[in-house]
Amino acid sequence: MSTKTEHQAHQGPEPLDVHDPRLSRFDIVREGARRDDIEIVHYEEQVVPGSKAERRLTRTVASMFLLTGLAATAFLVVYIWWPWEYEPGSGGDKYYTPLLGLTLGVALLGIGFGILTWGKKLLPKEVSIQDRHENDPNVAESRKITGETMLYLADEMGVKRRPLLGISLLAGLAPVGAVAAAPLVGGLISNPHKNNQMFTTGFAPADGRKIRLVREDGRPIRPADISAGGQLTVFPGIEHGVSNKHADSPTLLIHLRESDAQVSREANQRVGHGNYMWGNYAAFSKICTHAGCPASLYEQQTNRLLCPCHQSQFLITDNARPVFGPASRRLPQLPIEVDDEGFFVARSDYTETVGPDFWERP
Amino acid sequence: MKRRKLDMASVPGKAAVGVDDRFGVSTPLRKLLNKVFPDHWSFLLGEIALFSFVVLLLTGVFLTFFYEPAMTEVVYNGSYAPLRGTPMSAAYASSLDISFDVRGGLIMRQMHHWSALLFMAAIVVHMLRVFFTGAFRKPRETNWIIGSLLFWVGFLAGFTGYSLPDDGLSGTGLRIASGIMLSIPVIGSWVTSSIFGGEFPGEIIISRFFIAHVLLIPGLLVALISAHLGLVFKQKHTQWPGPGRTNDNVVGERMFPRYALKQGGFFMVVFGVIALMGGLFQINPIWYFGPYEAWVVSAASQPDWYVMFLDGSTRLMPAWEINIPIGDGYVIPPLFWPTVVLPGVLVGLSTLYPFVEARRLKDYRSHNLLQRPRDVPERTAIGAMAVAFYIVLTLSGGNDVIADKFHISLNAMTWAGRIGLLVIPPLAYYVTYRICLGLQQHDREVLAHGVETGIIRRLPDGRFEEVHQPLAAGGHDGHAELEYAGWVVPKKMNRLGALGPAIRGFFYPIEKPAEAPVSPGHPPVEPLPERKEISSGESRR
Amino acid sequence: MTSDNDRRRGLLARLRGERSAARSRGRRRLGAAVRLIAALTLAGGAYTVFAPGVQAQENPPLTGAAAEGKALFDVSCVTCHGRNAQGVDGRGPSLIGVGSASVEFQVSSGRMPMARQEAQAMRKPPVFTDEQVRQLGQFVQELGGGPQVPEGDLREGANLATGGELFRINCSQCHAFGGGGGALSSGKYAPSLRPASDRQIYAAMLSGPQNMPVFGDNQITPEQKADIIAYIQDTLKHDQDQGGFNLGRYGPSTEGLAIFLIGIVALVFASLWIAGKS
Repeated sequence: MSTKTEHQAHQGPEPLDVHDPRLSRFDIVREGARRDDIEIVHYEEQVVPGSKAERRLTRTVASMFLLTGLAATAFLVVYIWWPWEYEPGSGGDKYYTPLLGLTLGVALLGIGFGILTWGKKLLPKEVSIQDRHENDPNVAESRKITGETMLYLADEMGVKRRPLLGISLLAGLAPVGAVAAAPLVGGLISNPHKNNQMFTTGFAPADGRKIRLVREDGRPIRPADISAGGQLTVFPGIEHGVSNKHADSPTLLIHLRESDAQVSREANQRVGHGNYMWGNYAAFSKICTHAGCPASLYEQQTNRLLCPCHQSQFLITDNARPVFGPASRRLPQLPIEVDDEGFFVARSDYTETVGPDFWERP
Repeated sequence: MKRRKLDMASVPGKAAVGVDDRFGVSTPLRKLLNKVFPDHWSFLLGEIALFSFVVLLLTGVFLTFFYEPAMTEVVYNGSYAPLRGTPMSAAYASSLDISFDVRGGLIMRQMHHWSALLFMAAIVVHMLRVFFTGAFRKPRETNWIIGSLLFWVGFLAGFTGYSLPDDGLSGTGLRIASGIMLSIPVIGSWVTSSIFGGEFPGEIIISRFFIAHVLLIPGLLVALISAHLGLVFKQKHTQWPGPGRTNDNVVGERMFPRYALKQGGFFMVVFGVIALMGGLFQINPIWYFGPYEAWVVSAASQPDWYVMFLDGSTRLMPAWEINIPIGDGYVIPPLFWPTVVLPGVLVGLSTLYPFVEARRLKDYRSHNLLQRPRDVPERTAIGAMAVAFYIVLTLSGGNDVIADKFHISLNAMTWAGRIGLLVIPPLAYYVTYRICLGLQQHDREVLAHGVETGIIRRLPDGRFEEVHQPLAAGGHDGHAELEYAGWVVPKKMNRLGALGPAIRGFFYPIEKPAEAPVSPGHPPVEPLPERKEISSGESRR
Repeated sequence: MTSDNDRRRGLLARLRGERSAARSRGRRRLGAAVRLIAALTLAGGAYTVFAPGVQAQENPPLTGAAAEGKALFDVSCVTCHGRNAQGVDGRGPSLIGVGSASVEFQVSSGRMPMARQEAQAMRKPPVFTDEQVRQLGQFVQELGGGPQVPEGDLREGANLATGGELFRINCSQCHAFGGGGGALSSGKYAPSLRPASDRQIYAAMLSGPQNMPVFGDNQITPEQKADIIAYIQDTLKHDQDQGGFNLGRYGPSTEGLAIFLIGIVALVFASLWIAGKS
């Protein structure tokens, strides 16, 4: 089925006269390639022009392009007329995006495989050889010339003879580099210890007034609001307390069962946090001391608190000590009490640093 | 009005003359375009990354028309009912709008995300090809370094982009990133507060990430990719050893027309696969995650796959905190080692590897021929070790999902990861080394004794033995031992001959195999005239 | 803030009105069961009213349904929970005071009776019919009181947006944003919410089964519970995944798997074909 146009290798190094009218176009192409150090050693038509195989392949490629046209049209039809808007109650149409993907994908694959089949099956096969010229003597020569030119350049500049010029130029340019960087760095730089922000949270008493613990909707919390074995995410009852402005403040208020609370109180005593709990209630920072995720997977039977990001586990009844995983520091505990109106307040701010560890944490 | 007749056929030629008159480019341009590329499937892997980058640019531009990089608090009032009335950042609200209120916006978002994953995946697969075949050796060390930088810049591009929607999941990732920056000794807190403009999360990080994601990082990527391709062009592609192929030439196809046509087609195929995935597979459904709130988190919080190995290393790290008792006391948190030191070490190891290997083997020559992985057992084993290390870390990054779905204890998964990280890579090294040696051995055996024919012969004394087809004639016992050429050794009878398998076709034969009865020792009978057309005189026997 | 909330609630209630016609048949069957149980409870209540003298005794006699429940209990539960449901050390906890909510959750989801002792009871096809669950619940309720799941539509007048907010604060850390569940420490896990019914979710919040914290009515009011249930059932389960097949909603881990198993594999095959000999 294949006819092969095997060209005689090596027709001699002398260049062809490209204006010779006897030359075919392919001969000129070969000559051009040869002048670029490419030898076309094998050139083979894959299909005989006018043969059945050619017609079949042409039809295949054409049908792929037509498929593309169809799919692209279908894409437009779906894009324009298919119901796509989100319907409350029933959700969006679950076929809209898949249909778009399907039609667009088929359109692109059609054109892709069409072109590929065209190139792969209909175009002549060839094997060409190109020299890399890595050990060319000319290259070595030109390398030598370039090298000498550069050295001569250096001589002309005379930096070696006049070292002061070079040194003073460097000394002068270095600050210019700094000048370029200064506005950017200077503008970005921001003191992390402004207002002691790394060591305080929203629970720091303001004007001598103790801060209430509130829910996500701003309501204060009474002890009766949490059943034994329950937990509640609480926030400082200040302006923007329930927002990312106080990203270190979210706290987990836990109502321990009687026996667990007893263990917990004893643990508190041991580290001098004797009055941090109120009754059977304890409050721990929700921000993991490892990387800052909300460690809030509270297991009410084991009293473990799991962080879903890196699986650190904290034992609540032992001052939230890390018992498993990469966290190395216990969760800070918030000292709490109940005010005259019967709502939870923070007795003071956290006494340990909240959030992920850093260099200067005392 | 009289018009001059236009001879359409002469237009390109005339135009070319016109251009060359003015710019004098015909010779350099022809030289540039007349380039020979070797053809092998594994040389197309890098192209996948290149093409998905193009798709990223296209879809990304679309997304910028609708995305609002601001952390201003707004109350959502779009079509997605379950979030209506929820206060959120403008960035998240506009990302929801892209998903629900921009016609065709969701598929664009999904295609963008899928092509980002594909970009990184293709980079890794391409890097493995380059590593295992020794394509990074002199003179291509620079391109190897650029390539590994591309992984890390792509990593940054992915992370900044992933954070832009400001949803609950990506916000958790951002929080961890801030924790990682905080963990850097001495300057950690300064770096963090400078990047976030104060305490986490601040109000500026999304717009900073936006400009990094749409301008700075893509700019860097474009520059690196151009340098990468420019070097491939300048240094010419490596090739596999084979007939006629030497260290000083490239054997393949000229770039035009066939090679370029195939590349164009492949681009469309990559684009098409991304479009299919973008439409058919849901990715990053941000509407379930809600806006980022510092107190909200989800079980199974993971980053995208290419960050997962760092998440894994963080999960496996024991709680080793270093306290420095000077003054008030200083801390190096355990987070620092797996997230700052480990990537640093990995960058160093990967960029330095070509030089380390050259030094170790005292091999400072230029190499343009690739090596089969089996022929360099040591490198292949090191590569397998690195892959095993990476896979253990990546799996550990999803260990909670594995624990949950396969009912394994989470703590057991962590311990399995810790032990696996120490045990599996050396094991992978050893096993790979042995496999390479075995494969080498087999190649040499075939070269020395011939191909197994599957024919069992009974000797006069009653013994049975398999008949081997020698690969070359001559020698004392009827065939000569052949020199190994660094290329595939035929191991089956139908692989013999220069033209590859006799029956062509990818999944099923396109040609009919010869119908004449085939018996050992007798070649299939074919009609003569057809074979006479072949002028090369090659025969398949 | 509050008025804004109310406005939202009203709007959503209106939106939900259109959807309520699409209630499932299971729902109606549940309604029938509810009516039956209500009738039984009423009968039981009537009995206690008309027999006041017995209240004074140490072991008050049980109502009809509870007596049926006790019969079931003595056959199926007594091994682990003891003769009077006071618990057996190392096998099963006391059931006094856990209320019918707990029974309803554990038994109707097939977690109880447990097949064997393990880190956590798994969801199985339930052993008892709805009616038997009610009887067991009634028995445990009369033993020592405790939380009960109210009758009627548990999603009445719910607000999806509030439900979503509450879900993300209180539930998603264990059950995941998509409701698919997640791992807890040492082999324990938070189950997927997909098979759970309205009453099971309500009962779970009230009773805090196994390691789940208790969300009592003071903490999350019945209206808020309705919001959460509506969010889980209408959004997480009922809503279509807009963007195509959801890959199990496992997040980036399955997405990463997909890009290699589908994207890279498809393109490697394509490049094999492109570079293959033609």
